Amino acid sequence: MKREWILEKNHISYWLRQLRKDRDLVGPLRNEGKDVVFMTVEQIHEVVLDLPASLPSPKEFLFPQYESMLRFNVSGKVPVAGPGAKTVSPGACVECSREGDLLDLADRRRRLVFGVRSCDVSAVRLLDRFFLEGFRDPYYEQRRKNILFVSIVCNNPDPTCFCIGLGTGPYLEEGFDIQLTDLGDRYFVQASSAEGIRTVKDMSFLFRRPRKADLDDQYEVFLSAKARFHKRISLESSRRAILEGRVKDSFWRRVTERCFECGGCVYECPLCTCFTVADRRYPDAVERIRLWDTCLFKGFTRMAGGILPNGKRMLRTKRWFYHKLVHYPEVFDEFGCVGCGRCAVTCPGRIDMATIATEMKGLDLDGSEQRP
Amino acid sequence: MNKILSVCPYCGCGCGLYIHVEDGRITGVSPSRTHPVNRGSLCVKGWNAHEFVAHPDRLETPLIRDAGGFRRATWNEALTLIAERLEGIRAEHGPDSIGVLSSAKCTNEENFLMMKFARAVLGTNNIDHCARLCHSSTVGGLAAAFGSGAMTNSISEIADASLLFVIGSNTTEQHPMIAMHMLAAVDRGATLIVADPRRTQIAEFAHIHLRHRSGTDVALLMGIMNVIVGEGLVDADFVRRRTENFDSFAEELKRFTPAAVEEITGVKANDIRRVARVYAMEKRSMLFYAMGITQHITGVDNVRACANLVMLSGHIGLPMSGINPLRGQNNVQGACDMGALPNVYSGYQKVADPRARRKFERAWRKRLPAAPGLTIMEMMEAARAGRLRAMYVMGENPLLSDPDINHVREAIERMEFLVVQDIFPNETSELADVILPAASFAEKEGTFTNTERRVQLIRRAVAPVGEAMPDGDIICALAARMGYSMSYRGAYEVMEEIALLTPSYGGILHHRLSEGFGLQWPCPDSSHPGTPYLHRKKFAKGLGTFIQVDFLPPDEPPDDDFPFLLTTGRLYFHYHTGTMCRRTAVLEREEPECLVEINPADAERLGLKDRSVVRVTSRRGAIEPRVLVTSRVPEGTVFIPFHFIEAAANVLTNPAMDPGAKIPEYKVCAVRLEKIRT
Repeated sequence: MKREWILEKNHISYWLRQLRKDRDLVGPLRNEGKDVVFMTVEQIHEVVLDLPASLPSPKEFLFPQYESMLRFNVSGKVPVAGPGAKTVSPGACVECSREGDLLDLADRRRRLVFGVRSCDVSAVRLLDRFFLEGFRDPYYEQRRKNILFVSIVCNNPDPTCFCIGLGTGPYLEEGFDIQLTDLGDRYFVQASSAEGIRTVKDMSFLFRRPRKADLDDQYEVFLSAKARFHKRISLESSRRAILEGRVKDSFWRRVTERCFECGGCVYECPLCTCFTVADRRYPDAVERIRLWDTCLFKGFTRMAGGILPNGKRMLRTKRWFYHKLVHYPEVFDEFGCVGCGRCAVTCPGRIDMATIATEMKGLDLDGSEQRP
Repeated sequence: MNKILSVCPYCGCGCGLYIHVEDGRITGVSPSRTHPVNRGSLCVKGWNAHEFVAHPDRLETPLIRDAGGFRRATWNEALTLIAERLEGIRAEHGPDSIGVLSSAKCTNEENFLMMKFARAVLGTNNIDHCARLCHSSTVGGLAAAFGSGAMTNSISEIADASLLFVIGSNTTEQHPMIAMHMLAAVDRGATLIVADPRRTQIAEFAHIHLRHRSGTDVALLMGIMNVIVGEGLVDADFVRRRTENFDSFAEELKRFTPAAVEEITGVKANDIRRVARVYAMEKRSMLFYAMGITQHITGVDNVRACANLVMLSGHIGLPMSGINPLRGQNNVQGACDMGALPNVYSGYQKVADPRARRKFERAWRKRLPAAPGLTIMEMMEAARAGRLRAMYVMGENPLLSDPDINHVREAIERMEFLVVQDIFPNETSELADVILPAASFAEKEGTFTNTERRVQLIRRAVAPVGEAMPDGDIICALAARMGYSMSYRGAYEVMEEIALLTPSYGGILHHRLSEGFGLQWPCPDSSHPGTPYLHRKKFAKGLGTFIQVDFLPPDEPPDDDFPFLLTTGRLYFHYHTGTMCRRTAVLEREEPECLVEINPADAERLGLKDRSVVRVTSRRGAIEPRVLVTSRVPEGTVFIPFHFIEAAANVLTNPAMDPGAKIPEYKVCAVRLEKIRT
């Protein structure tokens, strides 16, 4: 169920200010280095609305790079001082349930992430399936329950973007919380999730019903957005090329020569979920943390005795692409890529999804099949 | 969620990154997308630079040695003890009985303060830091040839170059973000020449890979120059107008015919000719080098040979044309610039020059010692001889990083008093009398200078752990206790003093660095925009000088008893003595142990397989690492990374030094291999 309204631009600061009262408002801000990054918004007028370049993925708000999972108190007391206490963040600990000596540090902060892109929202939908179907990841679940995304229809895709070929952007028909389309002097507001609809309705006096002219303008933005993509990539033709055996190992070897093993593609990917878990022993407590990891590192699957099932870098590069292009469609019926282009921004060797898919296109002779 | 722009604490690339902070804790890092060096990328170390900050091993209080080991102490107690002991030793044995090791991991401001502390408070020029072990040959070699020892170009110029000559640098692993620009240049059609005995990743992209024998760089470069002169490819106009001493140098070159050089280096004469032609004929040619050039007993000569090569073909003083030493540590350029060296003040102003000395004496209101002090290796030698009795080590770990560490241990054990100031306990701090807890890069303000001379701000993202303090604050507090006031309201005030006393940093002030990504020195005044490339129109010293060099074989070539040539270096996932990266889950997981790289043919002869345990013995000691069989190393050569205390490569290395730069020959020594078990 999708509901639609119009919000005058004059009203957006007021709206955000009200939303901020019971949520941490995170939005794109320009900082000292002239980059635009997602941060807690202090001054609402500083929010950068015409998102000029691709941003780090909002995955970090659901699945942060460094996350405290639990703290086991060795001394039997809740740490109040000393090295133990310094690592329990006051914000996270206010509500933490205490069972015996185990401190569960799941983050229950309410967040509103403003200004994400449609591809990010599509990615979160897939992340939900990974983290919440079957085994439910409690840390992800807590954060997910408390987060609301306001996405913006992209009318200025980066040269690296290719969501248009995947149906994950530049705008969405459904599956978002709140989606804004910039119509110049006003926003076309759509809410799809229950929480999204409630959030708009709570302040219904700011919104009005859309008229025919608004709908026409919105359609025009959609058309213009679709026309602006530099990259037109069908991952299906890559998938076909792989499944039909046209991509030989020599191809992957050549690709892998350019891999710097930085892990950037995985860290930046809004869909990658590799993590590692480590225990850190403090004088009076043990803390379990989880950290982003990547399957592109040989040690990720190291077995006892130092055996490396994927010791060759080529095998790991191949696995990453296979996972996104072949296994994802098998398991989730969708590609493990939303075309956000972040790997293209971050890969020092320029062997990102778009580049490789383009190269594989040459290997695929019949690109006429349907998407899975 | 707050994101604070800072600079990566690992290598000299100086990548811009954001430190993510939530509730006073670091939750991650991300690359800056508009930074001129990394442009949205980071290497694996940068991506993981957030984790060690909150590691439980962090030093949180001062520690004082007592009968049973170390006990916690207050700052007051620790600083009082240090002040008393240092003053006592100075009164009894003179100021030169104390040595100071500054740190290429600390900020410019902290290095400047440490240099001031050594000279004005302790009264000695015995101050040095790890640049001695990596690029002292560059500082000496390039200063003599051009008048300035630093990368002459900017990193962002690399992608537009048409020829890249990389010698003795494993760029993809050790300066990944610079290699990224190199790859971009190759993609655009640039020619890449790599000279390295090992088949490194960057060599995979090379159009020509010269695998010369370790330690024969001078011969190789002289051979190339011999061809350039012989085939008339010299940029005669450049040589005539901008250099001196060419004629006698050309005379010297005649001995190095390609055939003679093939004999020495093992590189085919024809390859030498090919390289000479393409290097000299292209315009926009950039030369890069790193430890493979500098860490030899002929380190200075190697550097001079590189300098001669760029002058011969006129590849310097223009954008995308120059000679580019790739500095290792995040702030090793800055630590040198700040004068954490025994013979110079900040900006390479010589302590022996009475005018420079008077300037600093007047600013600091203190008589300063005139004679240059001791280098790291000489300090260790003096300690062994009983002349150096106390040492103050800030952010260094000589017991893993210096050559022949069994000998270093002896030296340190003989000292009466050792202070170690660091963020983590390390091999050296185990021998300390007092350990002081320092703040990490994410917990303080200041500037780092990267390898392209870019001075960039680092910002405080979180409060220091426990009672740890920024290194600069510790030095000032100690100085106050020793009766000399060093009082600053913040790092920006120190920078003001640096700008005042250092011509090349004259216009570099914190408020100018706070927007954007820093300034490149020389930047003489506060309206100067910084200098992207050096030696435009004329060299810093006027005319460039062709300096004679001669080929000298390594100090300890393989022989019958020790038949293998050992070369040492770093791994991609680790960094130096591993205090930070070995406490980072992913990095340590990737390379948890020391592996000695050995060629398949050698391995077969010795009956070794992957992961066999082998005893590696040199004339100085033995270690027992496992084996990695790989054709990256040529036959007869083995490679051992020096990060691992469990099998410390520097137990084996040869402390023989370059006579000028006093840099030890880490890259060549002779070892013997014996199988222990497969």
